[in-house]
Amino acid sequence: MPLDHRRLRGPEESQPPALWAATAAEDEEDEEGAGAAPRDPCALRPLFARAGLLSQAQGSAYVELGSGTKVLCAAWGPREAAEPGPGRLLCEFRRAPFAGRGARGRPGAAAEREAEREAAAALREALEPAVRLGRYPRARLAVSALLLQDGGSALAAAVSAAALALADAGVEMYDLAVGCALCRPPAPAASWMLQPAEPEERRAAARLTLALLPALNQVSAVLGGGRGGPPEDWAQALRLGLDGCHRQYPVLRQSLLRAAQRRDAAAAA
Amino acid sequence: MRAFWCALSAASMAPPARYCIPGERLCSTEEATAGSGTYTRHGFIFSSLAGCLERKNEDNELPVVSVVRDSESQLLPNVGAVVTCKVCSINSRFAKVHILYVGSTPLKSTFRGTIRREDIRATEKDKVEVYKSFRPSDIVLAKVISLGDAQSNYLLSTAENELGVVVARSEAGVQMVPISWCEMQCPRTHTKEFRKVARVQPQFLQT
Repeated sequence: MPLDHRRLRGPEESQPPALWAATAAEDEEDEEGAGAAPRDPCALRPLFARAGLLSQAQGSAYVELGSGTKVLCAAWGPREAAEPGPGRLLCEFRRAPFAGRGARGRPGAAAEREAEREAAAALREALEPAVRLGRYPRARLAVSALLLQDGGSALAAAVSAAALALADAGVEMYDLAVGCALCRPPAPAASWMLQPAEPEERRAAARLTLALLPALNQVSAVLGGGRGGPPEDWAQALRLGLDGCHRQYPVLRQSLLRAAQRRDAAAAA
Repeated sequence: MRAFWCALSAASMAPPARYCIPGERLCSTEEATAGSGTYTRHGFIFSSLAGCLERKNEDNELPVVSVVRDSESQLLPNVGAVVTCKVCSINSRFAKVHILYVGSTPLKSTFRGTIRREDIRATEKDKVEVYKSFRPSDIVLAKVISLGDAQSNYLLSTAENELGVVVARSEAGVQMVPISWCEMQCPRTHTKEFRKVARVQPQFLQT
């Protein structure tokens, strides 16, 4: 066959990728088994947040957690809607095809779409109390979150990113919404942990995601379930989650202030 | 961060601007009144936008505190606002328009509006003919009278002297000159066409 110069030719020999993937997974399992005990339950993962990075959307934000969760969120300001009454907030949550580890069960299956729709409804519930919808009659605001890599606490990171994106788009809000996730391992006397990583979340007996409006000190959404033990445990988990949200708030605040300064500097230049 | 602030204050004469985010508590309602971009709760003024804090001192009353975003402010047509719109289609009962500007700020996404036949003029409403008041692609100044219900769009009215057609093209494609409150003339073919013309404000007349 004549050589095809338009394509890049791969190597002559090829090996199945499973060879390499198996060893990496085994290493991680060993590390998790050894390091599972001394993880501080109240430790927050390092958080990185940046607002105002997309030019296609009116507002955008990117949030990354230390465990590897990466969420990119875009928001669009008021557009005309057909229904009367106060404005509406439309949320969309999508998982990138490469977001999870390992193979997807069946790409495009109904279960995936159902999970995305549930996450979008949770996002809407968390953000609606924070946005001043009464100032936008007959308008709709759109928010779209894309999960690039799932390292645990994905919904919580998406809530924070969506609130940042809406504030960056210039939508009038009462407050920023900060999200925090907790989980409880299946051991009988285990305590709740903040911001679980993906393996911990998979093995957890109970999960909880909180959304808080820090300056007004109001909780906007609580989502979770599982077998968690006595009710006092859940109350204690709520308090732990609220504390986690308050500790994350300064980072998000700084990122929004920097984005506002950058925008003004770009407009002046 | 500190180095950034020093550079900023050295570069500009004015004190460095203070930025705030939604939910930030600015001051109490006894020290100032809430302006745009803020809301009050429990006797305090909170910011509602991510932008620059502005404090305007009024002589007799309290200073007004507002938060400003330099770029676009998301305006929506309110009831009673004068809007600039473009006629896209007419009917014997109403004219459909696209709202382009609210006051003097352009809108990023166009809203649709309707001018009903009885809202075109203030007098002799039943003798109005929409075809003799507006034509498609006319630029019209109108006032919002209602946000509309489920099926309809924004309801607009031109029932004042200062409202009506501002710019119109004749059938020859040339911009027409207004002659009276109900006629415009094409400068090239000198044909007169009927429109409901807006009265030019005195400050815009060249004398």
